[in-house]
Amino acid sequence: MATLDLNSISKSFGTAKVLHDISLAIEDKEFVVFVGPSGCGKSTLLRIIAGLEEATEGKILIGGNDVSDAHPVDRGISMVFQSYALYPHLSVYENIAFPLRVQKMEKGELDQRVKRAAEILQLTDKLDLKPGQLSGGQRQRVAIGRSIVRNPKVFLFDEPLSNLDAALRGDMRVELSQLHRDLDATMVYVTHDQVEAMTMADRIVVLNGGRVEQFGTPMELYHHPATKFVAGFIGQPNMNFIPSTVIDTANGLSVELKGGHKMVLPVDTTTVSKGDIVEVGVRPEDVTIGTTGVEVEVRVLERLGGASISYGSIGGDTRFCASLPGDVRVKEGGSVTLEIKPEDCHVFDANGYVLRRQAAPELVA
Amino acid sequence: MMDRYTKLQMAGIYFCVAIFLIFMLLPFFEMFMASLRPLEHLFRSPYQFWSTDFSFDAYSKMWETVPLLGRYIFNSIFIAFSVTAITMVFVVPAAYAYARLKFPFKNASLAIFLGVNMFTGAVLLIPLYRVLRSMGLLNTYWAMIVPGVAFLIPTGIWLLRSYLEKIPLELEEAAFVDGASRMYTLRRVVLPLAVPGLIVVGVAVFIGAYAQQFLFAITFNQTRELQPLPAGLYEFIGYQSVTWNEMMAAALVGVLPVMVIFLFLQKYLVAGLTAGAVKE
Repeated sequence: MATLDLNSISKSFGTAKVLHDISLAIEDKEFVVFVGPSGCGKSTLLRIIAGLEEATEGKILIGGNDVSDAHPVDRGISMVFQSYALYPHLSVYENIAFPLRVQKMEKGELDQRVKRAAEILQLTDKLDLKPGQLSGGQRQRVAIGRSIVRNPKVFLFDEPLSNLDAALRGDMRVELSQLHRDLDATMVYVTHDQVEAMTMADRIVVLNGGRVEQFGTPMELYHHPATKFVAGFIGQPNMNFIPSTVIDTANGLSVELKGGHKMVLPVDTTTVSKGDIVEVGVRPEDVTIGTTGVEVEVRVLERLGGASISYGSIGGDTRFCASLPGDVRVKEGGSVTLEIKPEDCHVFDANGYVLRRQAAPELVA
Repeated sequence: MMDRYTKLQMAGIYFCVAIFLIFMLLPFFEMFMASLRPLEHLFRSPYQFWSTDFSFDAYSKMWETVPLLGRYIFNSIFIAFSVTAITMVFVVPAAYAYARLKFPFKNASLAIFLGVNMFTGAVLLIPLYRVLRSMGLLNTYWAMIVPGVAFLIPTGIWLLRSYLEKIPLELEEAAFVDGASRMYTLRRVVLPLAVPGLIVVGVAVFIGAYAQQFLFAITFNQTRELQPLPAGLYEFIGYQSVTWNEMMAAALVGVLPVMVIFLFLQKYLVAGLTAGAVKE
């Protein structure tokens, strides 16, 4: 059993506090992704779990044992670095064998383990090459090979795909998900790319400014973002936020959107009252062209083929992005009326907290 | 592109390079010419650049004039090699510590090392003499090796430290996560990657050791058999005459090993001395 529990982890560098009281319970065999903008503390948190940094406060438990002061090897973790950190003077074989050589493992077993790892990662015919002779994707696989050869309980990945080009990144995402299934191990993965987070994670931790904004499954974060930050971070293109005024709170939330359109939204209204300013969040993919709705001036239209993304604004300064059908007849510089279904709307109060949706779709596993 | 020059600029650049090279190389050329001339020819007036009586006689006669010449050349190389080897033993761990570890007075001690470099050996000759005398090292090889090592360690640390700092920290972190100790990481990861840097430092130390031995030799050593070449060259200065041509020949033969080393390791030197100068 390799559960990973963080109890009130805080970290300061001098007077700068980069992590604030972070507590997480990661389950055995779970694939958890830490995601957030640069400087949110996600890499620092990973390094603390790895044992490369010491937490200023708090405890780390792996499989229920307190490992806060333990060496990385004794923690049972292994880590894949952003730069891969392959040893350029050693062959692929020796790179993968490195952790076992450190343990002074007996030759036969070492050879068997290295070959097994190479097999899983399709590196068998590359074992004699130096890292410099490999492509980016192959180097990535060697780095993973070095981390799996030791059979750790928890795998840590620090932005492993950020050095690869877009196409390869897509392939590696699939490979990593496959690897997770094959190895059946707990994995913690850090990225700033919400697509990687959405596609690979069992659960996502969204970090912002050294705090956990939300911890949940990808679809939970998509349909029920707890804060405006999470709503804006998860989903591509980003969610639109329309400043609105509360008209009434009985029988749903009645609001007047900027631009004059009025709607009644099925959300929890207990924390707002008449006259409050809220923000209505609408995902670009949740709008359709219609006859009644918000009036949007289209500045740029990107035709992707299957879909056309329109970038425009409401009333000149509230940016609004919409994902429309591929062959939609909209002109740049023109305007369009977009229909929004009340049940698709997210509402955030003045502090950025969500008013719980009451008509959201059921979550799929 | 930064290297687009007009023809005129190129001519100017080559002209300046030529002047610089002539300035640097002319002494060697003149040494060589002097070594070829018969002794009488050297004092002929007016100066005659070329004559028909040039010969390599000095290169064979010098071994007779100074019978211990071979020994002196060996001593020079032996002392320089010993200094280099011992210096490296101290420099490698120290430079690694300065590059990677945190400890009190790190910057202060590094500055002191640089400060030591500011003194030439000459200023410290008399105190050093006393130290070596009380340690009983006068008139031994150690008298020339120990001060040599002491003066070269700071340079070595400064050079190697900047090279080691360039090795990505993530490599060492990866080794640490995989359970390697500091020493294991140093041996298996850092040093193999630092080979070009080690060569640069080794050569720089060797050249330093070769250059500085004269002062230490004439001050701390009276034993003829232990003298290095620069001190041994004095024997070409006789009571009656100075055999300049043979002295020049001996000097050229003496610097030959260093020149050869330079030629072979030149590409490392150029890469190494500028390493860390710009952020890549």
